[in-house]
Amino acid sequence: MPPVILAVNNLCKRYGELVAVDRVSFSVHRQEIFGILGPNGAGKTSTLEMIETLRPIDTGMVMLDGLDVQKHPRQVQQRIGVQLQAASFFEKLNLTELLLLFGELYGRPVDPLKLLGEVDLQDRAKAQVDQLSGGQQQRFSVAAALVNDPLLVFLDEPTTGLDPQARRHLWGVIRRIRSEGKTVVLTTHYMEEAEELCDRVAIMDRGRIVADAPPQKLIGDLLASGFKQARVERLASLEDVFLHLTGHALQED
Amino acid sequence: MRLRWKLTVASLKMFTRQKEAIIWTMLLPLFMVFLFGFVSFEGLEPIRIGVAGAKDEQAGRLVGRLGEVRTVQVTRGEESSELAQLKAGKRHLVLVLPEEFDPAGGSELRVLVNDGKPEETQLGLVILRKVLDDATFEMHSAPERIPMTIQSVASRRSSYIDFLLPGVLSLAIMQSGIFGVAFGFVSLRKRGVLRRLSVTPMRPQDFIAAQVTMRLMVLLAQIVLLVGVGIVFFDLQFMGRLLDLFAMGLLGGAVFLAIGFFLAGIAKTEDQVVPLANVVSLPMMLLSGVFFSRSNLPEPVRLVTEFFPLTYLADGMRSIVLEGSTLPTLWLQLAGLGLWSIVSIWLAVKVFRWE
Ligand SMILES: Nc1ncnc2c1ncn2[C@@H]1O[C@H](COP(=O)(O)OP(=O)(O)OP(=O)(O)O)[C@@H](O)[C@H]1O
Ligand SMILES: [Mg+2]
Repeated sequence: MPPVILAVNNLCKRYGELVAVDRVSFSVHRQEIFGILGPNGAGKTSTLEMIETLRPIDTGMVMLDGLDVQKHPRQVQQRIGVQLQAASFFEKLNLTELLLLFGELYGRPVDPLKLLGEVDLQDRAKAQVDQLSGGQQQRFSVAAALVNDPLLVFLDEPTTGLDPQARRHLWGVIRRIRSEGKTVVLTTHYMEEAEELCDRVAIMDRGRIVADAPPQKLIGDLLASGFKQARVERLASLEDVFLHLTGHALQED
Repeated sequence: MRLRWKLTVASLKMFTRQKEAIIWTMLLPLFMVFLFGFVSFEGLEPIRIGVAGAKDEQAGRLVGRLGEVRTVQVTRGEESSELAQLKAGKRHLVLVLPEEFDPAGGSELRVLVNDGKPEETQLGLVILRKVLDDATFEMHSAPERIPMTIQSVASRRSSYIDFLLPGVLSLAIMQSGIFGVAFGFVSLRKRGVLRRLSVTPMRPQDFIAAQVTMRLMVLLAQIVLLVGVGIVFFDLQFMGRLLDLFAMGLLGGAVFLAIGFFLAGIAKTEDQVVPLANVVSLPMMLLSGVFFSRSNLPEPVRLVTEFFPLTYLADGMRSIVLEGSTLPTLWLQLAGLGLWSIVSIWLAVKVFRWE
């Protein structure tokens, strides 16, 4: 198994009375796509943002590439790329200018066209963010998360609000990022996304991690426990129908 | 340093691509100047002649004769004080008599003329010549004209546009400082742009520094634009030095930028920014002597407005533009703005919020 690049240990976050993150521990290995799956309000964003140095950690510890996140926030920021759940970019700058500017923030040169190529947006290089579709905006914020050639990329619900095709397109992009040797940590509400995309999934509910394993193992364990689906198994889902009718997935190929 | 510079350049790009920003900071002040500049608030002015020098009987008679001319107002005084009045635009001509005035001739007279009021000075010179010639005729049958040397003095024309332009300039500096920063910053914060920046190694002070630099550059452009338009289109007599104007403008800009950041700190949403900014800026806009002289205000109000930052800025700018004052003579305005900048920066730092 590849070495651990991110180790989260007993992480806690409270907002007043509410315990949003409750003794969360997990570790992520190099070049893994690690998913945090959970319903609204489970504490996914809070967890990610504590790791990303964006929110103060109440208690617990995060080691990222051997660095204590609380002690060395700046070095950590150099090593990570972040897509936030709710964030936007400067208006009035085009994608190329934005990526160059973000490169400056990290003090490193950037090849905007190459980065845009990685998320299939080369042809929108001169567009501004508000001229992009939702899916393109998501892909752009992934590109922006890659300007510093990070070891670890955090994507908070990268595919929420996208249609199935755009979602699959983004999966392709994420897999490509991983194939370049990066590690990806993402959150999602979508079961099939976790199942298809992630090497390992942590299921989070009400601030706690209730399971952490490869998706096939989670399913296997469930079946092994004698679980039977309530409804009759179908051979195709509505999503398959949709994809079939609207022309197929990965536009990149 | 490089990062700050790049951020500044990027901010400038964003600024110049924003139509509203250009309209508010550049075109609106111009519009005000054009609007008021072509409206003449002046009627026919009486011709004001100051007489300095000899105080003997003959001089007294001359002043008497001048005073009889219907459109002329005569005053007497020392040469230095009359000259000062001339420069300030309060005299059209100053006649300087020799120690002893003899209308029969001999001694040469000097006339200082206000170069900003050609119509009035021309008329005044004709009247003066006529009155002098009359006096000479009375004494001599074969008169010899008294020689007059005419000396043009760069003076303030007391036209409304001269009063207005530095005022509008100060107003523009205030508005773009307060509204530009407060609105821009709250919007960046609310849309999550600042959060996105804060996961990069960029430090907030880099961003603030770039914002401030960008705004101050825009401010210098405002000064150049308005003064340029004043000179080209309105025959503005720019008496001061541009550098002094820049310095005064930057100090004023610092105050209003800090007020902008302060408001950005206490406003939660964009909707709260506008009323807050208006509460701060409207009283100054109306009472700081931008459009009309504060001397018409009721005394207690006038006294309070004395301490408004916009009053200091407008007075300082006006004094540089119209009277050619240099910074050391404007110590009151500099001190006032300096104090305000300390207070407002302190307040801005206190309430500053990145998120
Ligand atoms: N800044 C905050 N102040 C107070 N409460 C907060 C704050 N941020 C999050 N919470 C609360 O903490 C809990 C966890 O929120 P969080 O955003 O981490 O959930 P999430 O799993 O990312 O949800 P979603 O899937 O909707 O994005 C929620 O109940 C939320 O209301
Ligand atoms: Mg979330």
